[in-house]
Amino acid sequence: MRTFVRYAPLLILAVLWEAVTRLGLVSVQLLPPLSTVLASFASLVSDGSLLGNGAQSMLRAVAGLGAAIIVGFILGAGMALRPRFEATVGPLVELFYPLPKSALIPLVMVWFGLGDMAKGFLIFLGCLLPVVLGTYNGLRGVDHVLVWSAQSLGASRRAVLREVLLPAAMPQILTGLRTAVAFAFLLMVASELIIANNGLGFLIGELGDNGAYPPMFAVILTVSALGFFADRGFVLLSDRLLRWRE
Amino acid sequence: MSERTLAAAPSRRWALPPLARLRGMALRWTSPLVLLALWEIIGRLGLVRPFLLPPLESVVARLGEDIADGALLNNAAITLYHALAGFVLSVAIGVPLGLLIARRRAFRWFCEPVVSVGFPMPKIAFLPIFMLWFGVFDLSKIVMVTFSTVFTVIAAADAGARGVETRLVWSAQSLGARSLAVFWEVALPASMPQILTGLQVALPQSMIIAVGAEMLMGGAGLGGAMMQAGSYADAVGVYAGIVETAAVGMIAVVLMARLRAWLLRWHAEFNPR
Amino acid sequence: MTDNSLGIDIAHVSHGYEPKNGPPVRALQDVSLTIPANSFHALLGPSGCGKSTLLFLVGGFLRIQSGSIRTVRGEVTAPGPERGIVFQNFALFPWKTVKQNVLYGIHKCGLRGTEADQRAQHFIDLVHLSGFEASFPSQLSGGMQQRAALARTLATDPDILLMDEPFGALDAQTRRIMQEELLSIWRASQKTVVFVTHDVAEAVYLSDTVSVMTARPGRIRQQVEAGFNRQTDTDVFKLPAFIELVEHVWELVRGEVDEARRQGF
Repeated sequence: MRTFVRYAPLLILAVLWEAVTRLGLVSVQLLPPLSTVLASFASLVSDGSLLGNGAQSMLRAVAGLGAAIIVGFILGAGMALRPRFEATVGPLVELFYPLPKSALIPLVMVWFGLGDMAKGFLIFLGCLLPVVLGTYNGLRGVDHVLVWSAQSLGASRRAVLREVLLPAAMPQILTGLRTAVAFAFLLMVASELIIANNGLGFLIGELGDNGAYPPMFAVILTVSALGFFADRGFVLLSDRLLRWRE
Repeated sequence: MSERTLAAAPSRRWALPPLARLRGMALRWTSPLVLLALWEIIGRLGLVRPFLLPPLESVVARLGEDIADGALLNNAAITLYHALAGFVLSVAIGVPLGLLIARRRAFRWFCEPVVSVGFPMPKIAFLPIFMLWFGVFDLSKIVMVTFSTVFTVIAAADAGARGVETRLVWSAQSLGARSLAVFWEVALPASMPQILTGLQVALPQSMIIAVGAEMLMGGAGLGGAMMQAGSYADAVGVYAGIVETAAVGMIAVVLMARLRAWLLRWHAEFNPR
Repeated sequence: MTDNSLGIDIAHVSHGYEPKNGPPVRALQDVSLTIPANSFHALLGPSGCGKSTLLFLVGGFLRIQSGSIRTVRGEVTAPGPERGIVFQNFALFPWKTVKQNVLYGIHKCGLRGTEADQRAQHFIDLVHLSGFEASFPSQLSGGMQQRAALARTLATDPDILLMDEPFGALDAQTRRIMQEELLSIWRASQKTVVFVTHDVAEAVYLSDTVSVMTARPGRIRQQVEAGFNRQTDTDVFKLPAFIELVEHVWELVRGEVDEARRQGF
């Protein structure tokens, strides 16, 4: 009931959408009625194209993101804990930080052609920096007093890392990961729209090219919902991990 | 009384002795230079096919050509136009809306769920819809940028205005400020640090989207030029395009940081005690 | 009592609120208090006794639930410039310089230009902040920030000065100096001051009357006449009468502190 009241405005928007199209205020060529879009959603599900393409998209996103998290964490932690490593890698990170990630799309096309590898690697590259920066800033921001008290209580170097530095840095690490999740979706869709051979982005582009707008809207809404639920799931997970805060 | 004057506290970086500063600068530039050297060596020795990694000198030469014939300036200007027009629009809409959501109950009820759904959505997926509605020229690219960044701006302004100290509002009220004055004279400046943090996220976002939209819709601009180079298998053009895009992105990031420092010159962040 | 000598009349004020998690709290119960004009009145009590709540009600920041509060200008319903307030954490506008902070209320009164400027300068000089007009609050020490906040409030010339533990965030030496300066400003200005504190010596030193409040729900337990604030030349803190009165008030407060601790504050 509370969830219903909370999301009532979305319902109002949905009704409004249906109404303006039904009343002919907006051309159905530009905006198909919501009910038509939902019907195409059902047929996309039943003919399997949504699931097949969706699985391919998600596989790439998860692979690229997973690799980025592992490599990014190692790089970020190395920079935060080893000054020499920071002097080597830090300037490179700084150099690549302002590069708009979508500019890498032609590069991965040159490197890997038009296959899965290109898109997966793009997602990996795009998600890397938020993870590196979140880990680095998180670990660097840990209050020295915390480390000192742990050391004076007899904690070893390894224990300080595991029991003090990591938990204290966790909020910022998770913030970096959340940005990375958003980037993964963005780059997944963008690369599939451009390097179009399969995946949800490809489906959107192809349906659009054929003028099949109701199913195109349906896939766009599906992608949006996936992004939304991925983020919600991530927030729930980080709330669990950060129970100690307040 | 132990009151400190901080009229001319020098910033820490410049307080370093010159020699140490020189060493710091040398350290910063070492690895980028080593990377460039490696690139050149790999190219010379032919370790990697030139298509995958064209020689450094040919990329530099292409950059020189692009500068000389005005292509770089032209494309950069167009990309910046798409990114900044969309960004400014998104600030103009997002900041007032975020403040209203934080401080007016009706707005919060209606907009909060919409923003919470819109914020994490991969907005780029809407690009075909905007192409359908607005065509493939400037307008749809600008709208795409605005749509992609406005939720970030709204969320930042909302979070900032929600955290405004009650005591500040009370102070203003007891000094005679009315409701609208509280909004513009207290809520807005008090939210400034968070709004600017949001803008520092939104500006790179708008660069990403502008370049991506140009790639997808074609036409002039850095993204379009790179896509063209990519589809003609012009690796040198792709590499030059990445360097150019990075440079434009860097300028945007630096200018934004400057703007932040200037707007927040009152903030403790810039007045270490 | 003629109406002109009325500072604040608080009649049968009760106040409660419901925290997000936990049972409803009765902060104040049937508080009645009459404060004469131009007097210095301290509200003293353990933390959580509702003394700040009472001050915020007088300020008009919280809605009065039952009872009434009157000043010479009538019933209190909203914040107004005739009741100036100084908070513990200063609440200066951090994006404005000292001068701009002081000018804020002056501009709201409708004063502009050089006249406003001179007025701001006068109050900046009064609190000894000359030379720091262009500083931002973040560049000042706590004591200087509180001086700026005081100047900002005084500049609108309120009849009543509400002070919520204004020196609570300052170090001991700064606090002593600020107390002396507040008294000399008050003696020269003829304002009604309501001063919330939990520091017994501070309350006795500053006020004409100290109202000792009970632990939650807050009530006025007893009013004690002090009046050392009219003496300018002797070192009040060493007077036997002063020490004795502080001792006496402390005994009154101690019972309430124990009670508050029993309630879990």
